Amino acid sequence: MNEAEPVKVIRLTGELEIGRKNEIRSTLRAPADGTPVLLDLAGVTYADSIALTELLRFCAEAQQVGQPVALVIQTPQFARLIQYAGLATVFKVFAEPAEALAYLTESPRQ
Amino acid sequence: MSRQPSVLRLRCPAQSRFVASLRHALVSFLRAHDFKGQQLDDVTTAAGEALANVVEHAYTAAASQVDAYIGLRANVDAKGTLALEVYDGGAFVERRPTRGRGFGLRIIRAIAGRLTIDTSNGTRLRMIFERKR
Repeated sequence: MNEAEPVKVIRLTGELEIGRKNEIRSTLRAPADGTPVLLDLAGVTYADSIALTELLRFCAEAQQVGQPVALVIQTPQFARLIQYAGLATVFKVFAEPAEALAYLTESPRQ
Repeated sequence: MSRQPSVLRLRCPAQSRFVASLRHALVSFLRAHDFKGQQLDDVTTAAGEALANVVEHAYTAAASQVDAYIGLRANVDAKGTLALEVYDGGAFVERRPTRGRGFGLRIIRAIAGRLTIDTSNGTRLRMIFERKR
């Protein structure tokens, strides 16, 4: 990572579920300048489809402006939720922050 | 060693702030009946989706909100079979996953091998799980 190409880190922890819908939505705001985003979800202990919907919205908005997004997910329940929802190919998911950071800083930009 | 049959019954207003508490109570109940690991996660996930569906879709703005409720019933029999029901007094709406919405039932169907949805009086979603060793 260098100053010309920083990565914005957005971190969510705990249970990402319907009761936190508004908080999740307000936290997932993409930078307007196209900065790559690392969504650090390593501290998430549970997630539901409401959270998935917000993540999809965020990634779709980022994609529109060519902004790469990488997710760090370490909780098996969360990883399986994405599989069960049929979204395995939609998100760029990594088990370790270093892997996500490498993807964001090394992948070519449009 | 088989256990005695056991039932968990919960009912509360159909509001998002209560969903986590219902789910946590279910987790405690399931742990007490030796559900664990991925199966515990999966059952909890399916229940969470069913509960969230009620809050999101069962009671429309046109419907009376006076008695908008969520019910959860979990029964484990002596053989370790879990019958899990999530029910409400609203209207059943099945949405196809479009534009990032409607994943709840898809997730539930991916998890629950035996699933029935009774819409004759409100909606009662029933899932059956055999406890894994």
